Amino acid sequence: MAGVGLGGLELLQASKVHAQTEISPTIHLLRRITWGVRSSDISPVELLGASDYIEYQLAYEAIPDPLVDDFIVQRRVFSMPIDELRLTADDRYEVVHQALLWSRLYRAIFSERQLYEMMVELWTDHLNIPAPDYLADKLTDDRDVVRKHALGNFRDLILASAQSPAMLKYLDNAVSTKEQPNENYARELMELHTLGVDGGYTEQDVAEVARAFTGWTLTDNYYTASFTFSFDQHDTDEKTVLGVRLPAGRGIEDGLQVIDILVNHPSTARFVAKKLCRKFITDFPPEGIIQSTAEAFTSSKGDIKATLRHLFGTPEFWASSGQKFRRPMDFLVAMIRALHPSIRIENPDPLFHYALEPMGHMPFYWFPPNGYPDVAGAWMNTNGLLYRWNSALLISSAGDGYFSGLTLNLDTLIPMVNTVGELVDATTDAFLHHSIASSERDKLLQFVSRAGDPNETVTANLRNSKLPSLVGLVFASPYFQWR
Amino acid sequence: MVTRRDFLKGLGIVGISQAMFPIWMPKLAFAQSPSSGNKQVMVVIFQRGGMDGLNTVVPFGEGANYYDRRPTIAIAEPNTTDFSALDLDGFFGLHPSLRPLKEIYDEGKLHIVHAAGSPDPTRSHFDAMEYMERGTPGDKLTSAGWISRHLQTASWQNDSVFRAVGIGAMLPTSLRGEDSALALRSIADFHLEGRQDQLAGIQRTLSGLYAVEASGEMLNAHASSVFGTIDMLQNLSANEYQAAYGAQYPESNFGMGLRQVAQLIKADVGLEIACIDIGGWDTHDEQGGAEGAMAFLLDDMARGLAAFYSDLQDEMARVNVVTMSEFGRTTGENASKGTDHGRASVMFVMGGGATGGITADWRGLHPEALDDGDLAVTTDYRSILSEILVKRLGNNALDTIFPDYTWSDLGIIKPV
Repeated sequence: MAGVGLGGLELLQASKVHAQTEISPTIHLLRRITWGVRSSDISPVELLGASDYIEYQLAYEAIPDPLVDDFIVQRRVFSMPIDELRLTADDRYEVVHQALLWSRLYRAIFSERQLYEMMVELWTDHLNIPAPDYLADKLTDDRDVVRKHALGNFRDLILASAQSPAMLKYLDNAVSTKEQPNENYARELMELHTLGVDGGYTEQDVAEVARAFTGWTLTDNYYTASFTFSFDQHDTDEKTVLGVRLPAGRGIEDGLQVIDILVNHPSTARFVAKKLCRKFITDFPPEGIIQSTAEAFTSSKGDIKATLRHLFGTPEFWASSGQKFRRPMDFLVAMIRALHPSIRIENPDPLFHYALEPMGHMPFYWFPPNGYPDVAGAWMNTNGLLYRWNSALLISSAGDGYFSGLTLNLDTLIPMVNTVGELVDATTDAFLHHSIASSERDKLLQFVSRAGDPNETVTANLRNSKLPSLVGLVFASPYFQWR
Repeated sequence: MVTRRDFLKGLGIVGISQAMFPIWMPKLAFAQSPSSGNKQVMVVIFQRGGMDGLNTVVPFGEGANYYDRRPTIAIAEPNTTDFSALDLDGFFGLHPSLRPLKEIYDEGKLHIVHAAGSPDPTRSHFDAMEYMERGTPGDKLTSAGWISRHLQTASWQNDSVFRAVGIGAMLPTSLRGEDSALALRSIADFHLEGRQDQLAGIQRTLSGLYAVEASGEMLNAHASSVFGTIDMLQNLSANEYQAAYGAQYPESNFGMGLRQVAQLIKADVGLEIACIDIGGWDTHDEQGGAEGAMAFLLDDMARGLAAFYSDLQDEMARVNVVTMSEFGRTTGENASKGTDHGRASVMFVMGGGATGGITADWRGLHPEALDDGDLAVTTDYRSILSEILVKRLGNNALDTIFPDYTWSDLGIIKPV
């Protein structure tokens, strides 16, 4: 049973985009194709140049990723046979649950394959399946569907998803029969995975697609269940989908042909293109960029890398700095990455409990099939802001025990400087990588020292007392909410 | 109630001068008293997922038209089993899990409108919800929610940050618009955290940083709301909330959310509209009948509403509760003992000026009466909302709130 929650994807655009000056192309690129800028990320981009850096990130398999490799190897749930995994998920739910959620956050923070991880996030929302009800199957879906094809071919992604036990269960296709087809998967396949709601299909198409996918189900044994095509349950009568006749008497070919019809449909190219532009450029991308990206998708036959390569080469991409409001998890991860390498996560649970959960952005915890929204209007609210501020202020004070599970030594990030002005500048430089208006700088100066005198000497006492909150304020500031 | 002086005093405690709040401070300080207007409150409950109206308020009088289509999930006719429908009028009956609402119905304080919903035929959850919450079925380009337009056109303009509140981490579409409503997850936890001895300086700096034009107007407005809310809730959350008359809210998100709405209503902080969601209604499989998954949801809903009614019984004359869902479900059950997306569902109106009874322009469940196989929408959900807006909240600007819609008065709600 799919739960359904808030709609409201696109209602309200932030009425004014955060106007920032002097964002360098390097920082813009890193804020867009990674989960947040580590200081150590900057020189590789400048060394390689933007377009080679993009190619480097696109060829993700070649990027060594030792931290993530170790993380996965150390947790057996990621390599268990499915029957053992399902048994473990039943017997030791918390272990599997924690491994899965922590893996999502861990990879976003620590993986070197950052663009890949951004695309994993995009497809995780696109093909959303919440974790709690089908924990073991969600884990395998993440590995064998989303991660396997995140930078691959769109048709392969959709086909893998259609045969994924998690999806077959979540959207009920596993229990659809020729006598009583269940329309849940058929509808969302067209509405959310391929054509888009205005993609030109009818209620009749929903019914016909549901019939085409009858028999796409799971083998019987609860622990070993895997995809199977059951001819007995398949409706072999003739069907018509989007004007294409599927002749009578066939089997699994019906569903396979429907996937071909859908992924090759111009509405799908547009729908996917719009989603990519929304993720990487702006909440409401202009028509021209959607169209050219859709053309790149079509001409590459759904090659995701080729489509992205086009998108990242457009002037619209390069001119869009500061137009994306960070989602809560983006915000949290960007903050932790900015604190690299001085922050250590010894226990991730407080990050989930005290940051992601109250901000409404727990990984794999969006219950309707449309995935977490990706526009500012959905996330910008009182509750979200307060918890952003609190997370920033508490995590920045983790060195003094304000956030359990973390250790932090700011002295390795912010050099020992002599004056209040230098302290504020070093802090904004370290985490924002761009200058801020002098009026805003004044407010930070006044926080450090009431007089707000940039030439005042920073004593050890003053530094120890004020630096953590100063860092927190930079993260809590409007500047850090946008990317 | 909280007066202007209390606002200023609250600010004094944290040591902030008015000059440091260029944007929000004047708004709060010179606000009309929250107690202006007629103090009517509307509580809008959205049942996300598409609630099966036919098993919620059961048309047992349809006989085979109902029972034959639902071989395993139908609710039995009244007085036939331990878990049969609770008779309302000899034709309709409440799901047995709704027993707590039956008393309110019998008191004449709960009105049921059956076959209600949106005139747009979409069976997409997301489109259907968007249409309903924007108040413009069929038109996705409407740039704000219906509640937001109500707030802008209401005859009195209470400037409390608590004027419109969505309970939860995110705001529903209906509340989004030019006027920023408050997203409130937890009254008890709504305070700034960090080094205690620096909180005043932190708050002063943040308010300064969020006052700059460059941060975007919407972001500023929300930041202002955060500061205003923190101040107001400082007083409110100090004492643990005690529900009145022994009311027991269920320990669910819905129950706890309603409890917070009750707390805000009693605290007289200027609340006019609260939105709260109850999810899980997308019962494609194993829906259950008198018992099971949906019965569990209805139980949560009924116990929550009954506790709210009991807790607020001294104030219920000014509290108008309305429930809605994006659509109902298929008349017949599917192979997985559930129901798929259908058309009309059922709405409840409780408290305020609600008269008792059940209203339905009921065309029946025989095949020719159905809309594409399912229960046809014969009452536009906007007619019920309009009746509350006009008769209780005193807003006649229906042309703005629900453009291109002509209201016809069902006459189920008494004017203030």
